Amino acid sequence: MRTLALMVGLITAASSVAAHELTPTYPKLMPSYVDGLVSAKMRMFNARQDIDYYEIGVFTKDMVAIPFATTNQIIKVPHGTSYEFEIFIRNRDRPAAVYICTMSKLRSDKAQNAIISSKVCSKFDGELQ
Amino acid sequence: MRITTIAALALIIPVAAMAETTIEGNIASKCIINTDTQGVYGNPTPDKLSTATTDGGVLPIIRYDVAIADYYTAKITTPTSFSTSPTLSDTVAWSGSTSVSNTSDASMSGYETNKVTYEATTEFDLTVAGTVWFEVSSTAEYGYSKAFPGGTYRAIVQAECIAN
Repeated sequence: MRTLALMVGLITAASSVAAHELTPTYPKLMPSYVDGLVSAKMRMFNARQDIDYYEIGVFTKDMVAIPFATTNQIIKVPHGTSYEFEIFIRNRDRPAAVYICTMSKLRSDKAQNAIISSKVCSKFDGELQ
Repeated sequence: MRITTIAALALIIPVAAMAETTIEGNIASKCIINTDTQGVYGNPTPDKLSTATTDGGVLPIIRYDVAIADYYTAKITTPTSFSTSPTLSDTVAWSGSTSVSNTSDASMSGYETNKVTYEATTEFDLTVAGTVWFEVSSTAEYGYSKAFPGGTYRAIVQAECIAN
């Protein structure tokens, strides 16, 4: 039954036309080639037709934003494509950095009036259960 | 003798090829947020905007797919302000709720009873692998039975999937 549910989930995920995902779930912060920084590589996939832009954020356990560097904080991810990016955090901020998230950026000219904003967060160095 | 050798080879070759073919798979944990239905506010009375179908609205439906159990928490926040509206001179009273509308696995039946609600946010612990659909209702009432000014109104439902 559990396998069936998993298959249904994966099949529906694959056929979805309005999805937002961020992987890996538990990225590892590794020493960077820049002294004093650690980095992590992420990948996001956009299957939301109504969204072209996403914002990257790094947060504490209480969802307070902490400083980080990446090529573009607002990324353009056209429908049906994925985007790989690397973020850099100062060594001294590493203990506080818990979540890395991508958040959909909504357009103000949308036709619908009850709009869904999506946010997916991965956890740094999370414990596998 | 020659025909026998060829026949023997023909039988052996596909078997050898099949023996060397391997397929590997890997399932990684991930959460996918799907916006199955974008909502629409109905305007049943001049002072009210509501996504309820009885009020002429459309309930937003959000689908969460998780590949492995216990890795994520779903958080859905109903609107508490308009992102777009005409200038409003009076207060707006917001109400909303989020509930499980469908699941891919019977063992997800506990999601609804175990949900945690605070302010406008509802949390669901995604303890079972598979797919769950949430429907979100939202209502805005203006002043004391005051008519909303004409114009465009938009509000945002925030769907989050947070790694545990």
